[in-house]
Amino acid sequence: MKRIGSSLWRDISRDKYLYLFLMPGLIFFVLFKYAPLYGEIIAFKDFRIMDGIWGSEWAGLKHFDRLFNDRDFWIILRNTLLLNLYSILFVFPAPIVLALLLNEVRSHWFKRSLQNMLYLPHFISWVVLGGVIISILSPSTGLVNIVLSKVFGIEPIYFMASPFWWPIVFTLSSIWQTAGWGTILYLAAMGNIDPQLYEAAKIDGASKLRQIFHVTLPGIRGTIAILLILQMGKVMDVGFEQVFNLQNSAVFSVADVISTYVYRMGLLGAQYSYATAVGLFQGIIGLILVLLVNKAIKSMGEGGLW
Amino acid sequence: MVTMNRVARMLNGLFLILCAFAALFPMLNVLAVSFSSSRSILAGEVFLWPVEFNIQAFAKHFESGLLFTAMRNTIIITVVGTFLQMLATTLTAYSLSKKRLRGRSFFLLMILFTMLFGGGLIPMFLLLRNLHILDTFWAIWLPGLVSVYNLFVMKSFFEGLPKEIEESATIDGANDPMILWKVVLPLSKPILAALSLFYAVGLWNVYAQALYFLTSSNLMPLMVRLYQLIQVNALDSMLDNSELNLVQPESIKASAIIISVLPILCVYPFLQKYFVKGVLLGSVKG
Repeated sequence: MKRIGSSLWRDISRDKYLYLFLMPGLIFFVLFKYAPLYGEIIAFKDFRIMDGIWGSEWAGLKHFDRLFNDRDFWIILRNTLLLNLYSILFVFPAPIVLALLLNEVRSHWFKRSLQNMLYLPHFISWVVLGGVIISILSPSTGLVNIVLSKVFGIEPIYFMASPFWWPIVFTLSSIWQTAGWGTILYLAAMGNIDPQLYEAAKIDGASKLRQIFHVTLPGIRGTIAILLILQMGKVMDVGFEQVFNLQNSAVFSVADVISTYVYRMGLLGAQYSYATAVGLFQGIIGLILVLLVNKAIKSMGEGGLW
Repeated sequence: MVTMNRVARMLNGLFLILCAFAALFPMLNVLAVSFSSSRSILAGEVFLWPVEFNIQAFAKHFESGLLFTAMRNTIIITVVGTFLQMLATTLTAYSLSKKRLRGRSFFLLMILFTMLFGGGLIPMFLLLRNLHILDTFWAIWLPGLVSVYNLFVMKSFFEGLPKEIEESATIDGANDPMILWKVVLPLSKPILAALSLFYAVGLWNVYAQALYFLTSSNLMPLMVRLYQLIQVNALDSMLDNSELNLVQPESIKASAIIISVLPILCVYPFLQKYFVKGVLLGSVKG
């Protein structure tokens, strides 16, 4: 026992600088990732700023009760799930298709230039992207409506204020921002496919399309699986910035989601306990979903996340 | 058969050009609008090239200076923040890349868990409030100090460096700080560049955190000011009503957008290869 203790001490003193280096990072994770978990208990309390987190009165499941009986909450949950469903159906496959097409480009220079242009929206903030979208879709001065009216003689469409068009604009804007950048991992996975597989397929007389379906796609299955798990983990979470920068009160019925609701209720409305309950509900469902999807994908024979 | 393939390849190329154009087109339209006259914008004449070229909208921003106060804040946030983030990430990643470190797997597990489940917005808000750093730049720098993803990218990069170099430095009597500074960091320039850029872009674009945690208008970063300009029509502070006829709000918004993305657009072509490298290094270990 004493010897183990002394060897532990020897190792620690040998690595004293490493532990010192570790300190800022560890303090960060404990303070800003773990300490807020303690704050989650106000979801079960009637939090009052003066009383503090511990001093506030317990409230049991009151806030969750309110949550499940609130019509607004169900609308917001539905919007969150629907927008994510559209993302999984339309946004998730976009970089796969784009990568398949880019993979067929022979000229190195041409491919590089295309990639440079396609990656760019990834680096632009949602404030700017939202501003650009609102500007080109504006009913009076927006380019899209000008073209529609001049070329097709269609009356101006209020894209951003229409509950029908808004989810479509939202989904297209996601593709715009993420499709190009998303190709990087797929292209890398495609680069790792053994060229002999393509040779063998060619000898068997497989067309380009069949090669894609029988060699390329199976070759990137693992990458698709991992990215799908990560995507599923976000099903309860529509990024705040994208929604917030595109939404307006005319389309709340389809555009209000959990993250914007928590911000409005919690920070603007100071209903701390209720907003925390909403956030906690979101976090727990999200966690369960990741675990389930990871398990499902593993049982299908793919690697999974862990 | 051969001609079929050639036609298919050409169509593929054309389609991709169209996609790339679609990716850039909205930005180019806004660029054109920012330099166009209000008359031409209202008449719907502006597509990809400015009509009745003028720089009045930009001049307005220089006059009012509001956007530039915000830009100064963003520059401070980005420069100091990137430094802090890189410092913490590098030191943590270096320690965790040493397999001999006692407690290493515990630390790694503890860090990985934070990717799965995090405290929500309100607990973070209350924490920052208790730390008395609400409404300071620390409320932006500290909650996002280390990105788990970037940390693991850097850790796996350090693990991939040849062991022999470090070993010979140890024999020469160098301690860990000296090895990190003199041996490891000079070998890690590509990854340091890539991750600094990821952090810097994130801070340049910071918006939600500023909205949540900052209240003083003189601390507002660029993106918050831009949001106000674009969405809330806070134009009255900039323009007398008499001038509204001269400069059309659309061009004011467009020029504000252009000013805000200009720094990113300027560095982007040169640094693009580092971005991609960063993503690929990270994907090795997933």
